[in-house]
Amino acid sequence: MTFTLKYKDLNEKRELPNEDYTIKDLLDELELSAQTVVSKQNGELVIEDTVIQEDDEIQLVQIIYGG
Amino acid sequence: MKCSKCGSPKVIYKQEQSGQILCKECFIESIESKVIKTVRKEKLLDRGDKVLVALSGGKDSVTTLEILNSFREMNVIDLCAVTVDEGIANYRQDGVDIAKRHAERRGIEHRVVSLKEDYGITLDEIMQRPKHRGSCTYCGVFRRTIINKAAREMGATKIATGHNLDDEVQAIMMNYLEGNTNNLTKLGAKTESDAEEFTVKIKPLREIPEREIGIYVVAKELEVHFDSCPYAMQSFRGEVSELINQLNEKHPTIKYSTLRGYEKIKAAIKDEMQNDYAHGRCSRCGEPSSNELCKACSFLEELGV
Repeated sequence: MTFTLKYKDLNEKRELPNEDYTIKDLLDELELSAQTVVSKQNGELVIEDTVIQEDDEIQLVQIIYGG
Repeated sequence: MKCSKCGSPKVIYKQEQSGQILCKECFIESIESKVIKTVRKEKLLDRGDKVLVALSGGKDSVTTLEILNSFREMNVIDLCAVTVDEGIANYRQDGVDIAKRHAERRGIEHRVVSLKEDYGITLDEIMQRPKHRGSCTYCGVFRRTIINKAAREMGATKIATGHNLDDEVQAIMMNYLEGNTNNLTKLGAKTESDAEEFTVKIKPLREIPEREIGIYVVAKELEVHFDSCPYAMQSFRGEVSELINQLNEKHPTIKYSTLRGYEKIKAAIKDEMQNDYAHGRCSRCGEPSSNELCKACSFLEELGV
């Protein structure tokens, strides 16, 4: 069970650790703040509580940089 | 989970300060109507205004242009835009290109002006000097002067900037922490000067949190320059911003309450604290100035330019 993660230059397949694995869990794993990135699931904007499904494409867009 | 407004299951945003959950369409609508409400409440626009948008190509200025364009489409105002190239290698050019494309897409008169052309020095060159005052000090003063000059030359009656809620709250706290009571009196949705050469400045996004503007541009698929100024983290603003955001995690209404609190005391501190400037002229450039040299020219003298 895998999904694809796209973030900046990263484009990789990752294992889904469990059935209830959310985008929030992914952000925590990547040590990213939900305050500075928005998430897309298969091209659609979604909230961080969204559960990631097998074969999903998850794209993270950093929207706050400072300066 | 369903949209608090229309019931759609396709939600994109949980607004922590209000508890609302919104779908894409309702989120976009909520941002646009909130900005329009600020414009009306604060009387930011007058019919027939020509508004110059300070357009960097970043999310805040692109959103300002996008929403003010709805007033242009209703023939309430005319719009033009200016982009300042500060001369920051590997950073500014992308924003300039994006700004050009937005102005072209909307058919808006647009100018790119640079520190190099106006003052003969770039921000990168200033930062290489052994003694300097920090990037944001120069950038803020030079950019303000250049934008104001462009507004006069382009016949603009107002200058719109993309300052958002986070920017305003940072400015309130920075001025307070630095004990700068004079600057503390000058913040607000609309700033006017007694000197008529200084065009009125307006901040239509002042009540929108930075994060919501980021989500708005992604939701509307607007092309923006998402990147960090290489000098940003050297600033006091960066430190203050970090502190406020830490507090905001546990207290999601703190940015609004800081702004509201400031609004309540603003009139009182303005009466007590605002300096009464003598209206003179800068002996070097002729711009209005309370001292012999305006701020921009005093920096240029210091830099030997």
